[in-house]
Amino acid sequence: MERSEIQKLWEAFEIIAIGCVLFGILLVLYLIRGLLTPFIIAFVITFFLSPVVDYMEREGINRTLAVILLILLTLIILFLLWKLTWPIIQMEATSLQKNAPFYVSKIRGSLEQGMELLERKAGFMPEGTMQNAMQLKIGDFASAFGNVDFLFKTVRYLLVTFILTQLIVFFFLKDGTKIRKGLIAYVPNKYFETFLTLFHEIDKQISNYIRGQLIDAFFVGVFAIVGLYLFGINYAIFIGAIAGIANIVPYVGPLLALAFGGLLVLIDTGSIFTMLEALGILAFVKLLDSIAISPLAVAKRVNVHPLMVIIVISVGGLLHGIWGMLLSVPLYCSMRVSLRILYRGFVEYGHW
Amino acid sequence: MNVLDSSQQDAQFSTKSKALDNRRTTISKGNRFKFLLRKIRGKEGKIIPVLRTVPIFEGLTYRDLKKIELIVHERTFMPDEVVFYERQPGTGMYVVKKGLIRLTKTTDGERVKIAELGEGEFFGEMSLLEEYPRSAQATAVVKTEALGIFRPDLLDLIKRHPKLGSKILMKLSTRLAGRLRKTTEMKVKEVE
Repeated sequence: MERSEIQKLWEAFEIIAIGCVLFGILLVLYLIRGLLTPFIIAFVITFFLSPVVDYMEREGINRTLAVILLILLTLIILFLLWKLTWPIIQMEATSLQKNAPFYVSKIRGSLEQGMELLERKAGFMPEGTMQNAMQLKIGDFASAFGNVDFLFKTVRYLLVTFILTQLIVFFFLKDGTKIRKGLIAYVPNKYFETFLTLFHEIDKQISNYIRGQLIDAFFVGVFAIVGLYLFGINYAIFIGAIAGIANIVPYVGPLLALAFGGLLVLIDTGSIFTMLEALGILAFVKLLDSIAISPLAVAKRVNVHPLMVIIVISVGGLLHGIWGMLLSVPLYCSMRVSLRILYRGFVEYGHW
Repeated sequence: MNVLDSSQQDAQFSTKSKALDNRRTTISKGNRFKFLLRKIRGKEGKIIPVLRTVPIFEGLTYRDLKKIELIVHERTFMPDEVVFYERQPGTGMYVVKKGLIRLTKTTDGERVKIAELGEGEFFGEMSLLEEYPRSAQATAVVKTEALGIFRPDLLDLIKRHPKLGSKILMKLSTRLAGRLRKTTEMKVKEVE
């Protein structure tokens, strides 16, 4: 009798200890979050490339050699892409940089007019409140686009981070199994089998999601760029790239990309017809994606109700901005699959 | 008479040493090859010799065993620690590396010992094929080191090395077929 009491106490203590350890790990990760960017990118790339390495290994190529070949190939392709598209990107960037203050002042003008109208109608606000707020926000935007060579810096930063991440990707791809084994080696025996199953399920969910979304985003980006370019719309690469990247966030992303693209074209040309043309192209690409690319690329996509996706993305965005929006769906899926496995173990077998 | 002049001595010595050298080179050539092979392969470690004794991995080459070693989890169980409970969902098998494991089953509310497994013996291999509640409880009798091989890892291995995977699956099915034959024979005898 006494022994079982002690055992119960011990079990409670064990659960609390595990909780503390997990909390500690999260805290450390939060504290060093600045260093995590290359690791997060490396994770994403690893999830993306690992099926290719697996395929090469299946064909009889040594894993290390396969990883080296693949990374070299990626670098060559990226280099060629860079060489091919750099002049156009440069042109777009310079033009955008030059015109940004003009666009901003144009937006500001129309917004100010709107605000003035609103204030007059609303009546209860001290004059100039909204205008001041707007000016503050837009001022930041203008300095980001106009004064600093914002775009160049971003591109360069991305490139440097990417090269750094190559090293991490190399080891993740080559020693992934070993690293995983090492990570779960200290899980207590009692929870080991459950933990291992969870680990694999979460891995599967996240990698399927990331892989699908990236392939999808790539195709959407390329089609949007080609479409916009063929119709002779300015900033085709810029708008197309943003449409592709935004497509990673389901439902909300494409809408934002549409709004952004439309606005940029409208400000640039001033013609509603061209804006509608651009919007039409983007919408058509999205339609094509929904019908043809997405079902193929994201065939094994985690089955989540659209409403739930929107709620989850909103919560993610509210808590952590862009990263929150990007990571919320895979996180939600991981939590869901974990709860399902634990619940089943508990209800069906009485153990977990 | 005994004294050989220096040139003769030298000649004798040189032929002797040449012969010795020859022998040495032939030996060292063989050794060098083995040494190189060992260097390339790396240390065999403590896991592979245990894996070799498991019938499921019988006849596999060193390279294959090395791949299996990657998915093996080394677990240590204290005396009286439960490896898995009866009816718990099973995810894989364990090979006893060192120590003793007792398998027990509850029948009519009483716990009955089924078997005790020592070094090199294994249990739970059917869980590699499908998730099914464990049919018995496994408990460590003394401090026991065991190697765990689990289904998710095995599925990964099959995906990455289909040839090796099919060899392992073949062995597993052979064991299963053997068991099935035995049960059928028993049933037939019962009917007779």
